[in-house]
Formats: sequence, C-alpha cells, structure tokens
Amino acid sequence: MADLTDFEAKFQVLTQVDGSARFESFGTSVLCSVTGPIEPKARQELPTQLALEIVVRPSKGVPTTREKLLEDKLRGVLTPVLVRYLYPRQLCQICFQILESGENEQFHSVRELSSCINAAFLALADAGVGLQNCFASCCAAVISNADQDVLINPSAEQLRNASSTHVLAFDSENGREPDSHLLLLESSGDFEEETLNKILDAGEKACLQTVQRLRQALKTKVEQDLVWRT
Amino acid sequence: MAKDIEISVSQGRFLIETLKQKVRLDGRRFDQMRDVDIELGKDRGDVMVTMGKTRVHCRISCEIAQPYEDRPFEGLFVISTETSPMAGPQFENGNNTGEDEVLCSRIIEKAVRRSGALDVEGLCIVAGSKCWAVRADVHFLNCDGGFIDASCIAVMTGLLHFKKPDVTVSGERVTVHPPEEREPVPLGVLHTPICVTFSFFNPEDTEENIKGESNNEISLIDATLSEELLRDGTLTITLNKNREVVQVSKAGGLPMDALTLMDCCHKAYNIVERLTDQVQRVIKEDEQTRNQYAAILSSENARES
Amino acid sequence: MVNLIYPGDSISIPERTNVVTGPGIYLDPKSQHLKPINVGIEVIDPSKRVTSVYLDFNSKRYIPSEGDFVIGVITSTFADSYRVSLANFSTAVTLSYMAFPNASKKNRPTLKVGDLLYARVSKANKELEAEIECVDSSTGKDAGYGHLDGGVVVDVSLAFCRELLFNNDFPLLKLIGKRTEFEVAIGLNGKIWIKAADILSTLACYRIILDCEKQPTSQYSEIIKNRFKELANSAD
Repeated sequence: MADLTDFEAKFQVLTQVDGSARFESFGTSVLCSVTGPIEPKARQELPTQLALEIVVRPSKGVPTTREKLLEDKLRGVLTPVLVRYLYPRQLCQICFQILESGENEQFHSVRELSSCINAAFLALADAGVGLQNCFASCCAAVISNADQDVLINPSAEQLRNASSTHVLAFDSENGREPDSHLLLLESSGDFEEETLNKILDAGEKACLQTVQRLRQALKTKVEQDLVWRT
Repeated sequence: MAKDIEISVSQGRFLIETLKQKVRLDGRRFDQMRDVDIELGKDRGDVMVTMGKTRVHCRISCEIAQPYEDRPFEGLFVISTETSPMAGPQFENGNNTGEDEVLCSRIIEKAVRRSGALDVEGLCIVAGSKCWAVRADVHFLNCDGGFIDASCIAVMTGLLHFKKPDVTVSGERVTVHPPEEREPVPLGVLHTPICVTFSFFNPEDTEENIKGESNNEISLIDATLSEELLRDGTLTITLNKNREVVQVSKAGGLPMDALTLMDCCHKAYNIVERLTDQVQRVIKEDEQTRNQYAAILSSENARES
Repeated sequence: MVNLIYPGDSISIPERTNVVTGPGIYLDPKSQHLKPINVGIEVIDPSKRVTSVYLDFNSKRYIPSEGDFVIGVITSTFADSYRVSLANFSTAVTLSYMAFPNASKKNRPTLKVGDLLYARVSKANKELEAEIECVDSSTGKDAGYGHLDGGVVVDVSLAFCRELLFNNDFPLLKLIGKRTEFEVAIGLNGKIWIKAADILSTLACYRIILDCEKQPTSQYSEIIKNRFKELANSAD
C-alpha cells in the first residue's frame, strides 16, 4: 500500500515573490506563494503585528464563498504559528492557487485545505518569514461501517462514501510528539466522540510523520540555496 | 496595480545602451522568442505554459447552462483572466480594473473568443434551453513579461486538449454520459490563433521619432518584465497558421510607420507557425500516451498508402 | 551538512554567557526562551567576549538592520529628506539631507528621484522607519557612500550578497577582475551594482553574477570565460 503521507514538494517555482512551494499528493496539487514583510495598504495595517493577506484561488471558476471559507480557516491556522510581533505594521501576502483539486469541489474541500497548510509551511520557510514551530496537516474520512474505520488522506472516491470528513493540523516543537499542539480540527458529517478521539490520534501521528518529511524536503532546499558554498 | 516596481534611472539607461549595441540582457536576439514549454496535466484541459520565467496555468471546464435568449443556437464561452499577488506583488487580488490588466484580458478575449477559435454552435444541446458553457480560467502564476502571448498559447492548447462529456438528447431529456460509459468528445476548434507581442524602444528623443527619417526605433519580440517596464510602446499581433491576421493591437505608445508594421507581421508569422506546430505536437504526444492501446484495438483497416 | 535547525527546535547555548542574537533567533516574550524561527544552519560563535547566536539561511526579502551597507533608489524628495526604496514593495527608508558629508542648511545634496545610491543603515528598529546615511557618522567625513552613476544593478539573494561582501576568499570578483576592470558596490539588501569599462563588459558581468548565483564555485571560471566570449562574438 502506498504511504498516505507521501507527497512531492518543489521550491522556488516562482521568481517574483519571496518564497514559493508546490505541494502535490495523490491528485491534489497546490501552489503557494509568500511575499513579506512588505508595506501594507493603510486599511490592512496592524499597529503591533504582522497583517496577513490570504488569497485562495480555485482551479476552475471564480473564487466564491467556498474559497473565502478556506481563506478564513487558513488564517486561523497561520496566525498563531507566525512570529507576528516581530514585524509590526508590515504585511505578508500568502496566495494559494489550486492546480488540481483531487476531490469533488462541490461537496468537499478537505484535501485542498490540508494541502494548502502543508504548502504554506514550505513557502513560509522558503521566504524566511519567522515561524514559531514546524507544522503540518492531514485530512481524514470515516467510513460508514460498523468499525467506523478512519482513513488518513482519503481519495476522492473514499470521500464520496465517507460518513464524516475531517481536517487536522498540528505543530510540533522539535518534531516530537509530546510537544505537539492542535492547530485546526474541522469536521463535517455524523460521528461519535469515540471516533473523534480515534481521528485525533491517527491524525496526530500522520501530521508528525508529514512534518518529518517536510523537514527533509527543506533540507534539500537549503543545500540548493547555498549551492555556491560547495 | 497595487504598487509599482521601482526602477532606477541607471537601469533604464543601461538597457537602452545595450540595445543600441544590439544585445539583450538575457542574450536573446531582438526577434527571438523565449522557448515555450507546454505541460499537460492529468485532467483534460489542464495546461501549464512556461516561457522563460513567465508561467501561466490554464484550466478548461464545462457545465450545462441556458443559452442567451438572443442566441439560442450558441453555447457559452468565457475566458477569465484574474490576477493575484502570486504573479508578483504589483498585482492586486481580484482587482482587474488597472489599465494593463484590462488591456491584457481584452487582447486575449479578442484573440480567442471573438476570432471564433471555438465553435460555439457546436456547444448547443437543445436549442434555446440547454447548451454547454465552457470556461477557460487563466491563472497568472509568475510574471516575467509576455503574459498575453503565454496565456493565448495556454488557452488554445487547453481548448484543443479538453473533451466534454458526451450527451444524448431524446426530446427535452438530456443524458450526460460519464467518461467511463462513453468516450468524451473534443471541442470544435476552428483555428489556432497565437499572439506575438513586440516592444518598442526609442533610443533618440521623441521629436526625432515623429519627424525624423532615421527610423531608429528598436523592436523586441517577447519582452521580459524589466524590458516591459521600460518600453515606450507595444504592439500585439495575433495570427493563425493560415496567414490570417486575427488582431493587431497597438494602444498608444511610440508612433510606428507602416513598413515596420508589415515587417513585424512577417516576423510574427514565422513564430506563429512554429508555435502552432509545437502545440499540435504536444497534444498528439499526450494523446498517444493516454491511449497506448488505441492503435491495437482500432478496428480500422491498416491501409497502405 | 552542519547542524540544520528548524523553527521551534531547541538550541543549546552555553550557560551563563552574554548572548547576542542574530537573524533567525527570537526571544519569546512570554517564556523568555531563545528559539529558532527559520530554517537555517546554526551558528554559535563563542570566540568573542559575547557569544553570538544566529541562523545562516538564504532569503530574498531584506529587513533593514543597523550597520548594513545597502543600495537604494530614491523614490521621492521631501523638505529635509529623501525617501529611498531598498527593496520593491518594502517600506521605504529615510535619508536625511544632513546625512551627507559637509552637509549644512545651505549645502544641499543634489540627488534626484530615480538615482541610485550606496549608503549605510544608521537606525533600524522594527517599530520605526529605518534611516540610512551617506556619511561616516563617527567622523562626519566621506566614506565612499553616495550616488552610483551609470553601471547596472543585479538583484540576487541576500546570502549570496553577504558571501560576496564578507568572504574575502570568494573567487567570483577576483576571477572577473582578471578579465576586465570594474567598479563594484555590494548592498546587503540583495543588490550588486557593477560598472565595467564599457557597456558590453558590464553586461557580461551582469550575466555572470546571475549565473554564478545558481552554480558551485568550481564552475565560475568556465562561466566567466563563456560569457565574455559570447559578447565578444556578438559585438562583431
């Protein structure tokens, strides 16, 4: 069976922004760009901290309330992990372009959301914007059978047959389990408390595994960045 | 545009001086286009065009909609070109009211939609009540000049690559067949318009350009961002392989004489011919990889020609 | 590779020493712990009187820091100061008319909007607008700052600029020097200004710097040779 936290990451795909990353996993592909800290417009400026401008653009059609909702959830995840007070009265633009959704856009956005969070970590690290911790995300689906099986990073097909879908994001100090905190838990559908606990356990494990792999990906990036040292 | 890129006086002077010496910053000839890389995605109608550092992504999609009342026999076709700060912080999100953005989307619109590149009558399902609405969503990912040229290639490749689900009509009832059930059908693309953008620079003063006989203006094909920021005029010519001029767009800027315009058209044609071949080759190669067994399974007679 | 640190990792700093933190290290106001906030190579240098701790990483966006040499473009003039842009879209910095050699109320500098200049960051505080100066403020004398006339500015990454300026053994400029005479000013804001004897040599330098940023040093001689040859050919 394929490793479900498997992904492919590319850095510096864009040249006009300060940091960028492309995150691809099982049919979902997201491009993230980060510019900042830059001068904000007067209405965006916050007197003591970094302002965030988050833009999500769908692969098909114009942005709708669905994308606005995604932007809002992403803001909730990214705000606590950024070292905001280091950049007062500055702005950080974070744009996401969904290249391939990998799920039915009409009903789901879990794959997109979790890929966006992972792409954001890579792009923010690439841009050199200060981060409190490493973080990662995964999505989960519960299959409506007697055992209430939890599937991590389900496919479009599995999502269609799921009784509930969830997105989780964890950060991790030192990349170790005891120091991880829940950043996001988004659930929709019918499920029991017991199932939710199961999801949290499985999700945390998957997120920490993803953090490790994201860190590996960043290591290659740093080597590439400083190629002239060799 | 939100905020402009600052360019120093020396940067502008340096560019003009190098152009006078007949060299460009990136080492291309004046009439040389950057190499175009076309990448097709897993889904049909998913195209990534890379031209030097410029990157444009285009996604074609379709759904069933109601045709316009005054055009009951035609389907709908929309090209959406919205900028986001991803292409560069000079672009504002969703704000397409800037002069450059409007001009860019108008030129693409004229080149592809108004030139009738897509057969909209072929999108009609039930006259007056149901038709296909085809969308081309152009995403500007990285801006290093030449957005118009790259977008046009991306949209046309997308239209050629895309297939819409097959439908059967019995009376007012329309059945849409999923791809597993029936092979989707390609769109009716009537011709492939390709845009070529020229940028003009004036090494002398303006008066010399209008009154003088010297014709010293320098014209470059496919300017990069730094060249675009400093240019004195621009001209976009849209052509197809049949040597039909689809569009000539020159909004202000340096005055040109007619001979230069003709010369540009001829230069553009060579590029258009090469690019059209490239687009068709990419589509054909993709078709072969998608359908490896087509040749074996085909019941067509292998006639000797 | 040497010790690569990620945001949130723990760093071990020798106890009871005076520590000076550099880029990538943040003193958390709540916990009063030092923590890394970027992905970079850990550098702990206890050799001096105080131990300096920072992360070495590459980025593109410049944040002004006191004492840095920078290259800027004048964007507007005011009654007693210029506004200077150090990086596109970043907050502009101030250059007072008094921050020039021999400045007085009567003796005003003659720079115009769009001019390039070389300067030093004199004040940098995250809450306030940064200030730059074109004079050695300790002596009040000319120190090689000021207007950069002609030439061309190459935009490169910040770490590459630091390497060019601080690593005296870095071969790039020496190798270019064997081919042509040139003037150079390195701004830590990711800008390198270069001006050679003629326009084609300047262009060769421009392309060489851009190429070399993406290549290991072993390739440099080859790149320089090719770039000069290519321009010599195009001039014919």
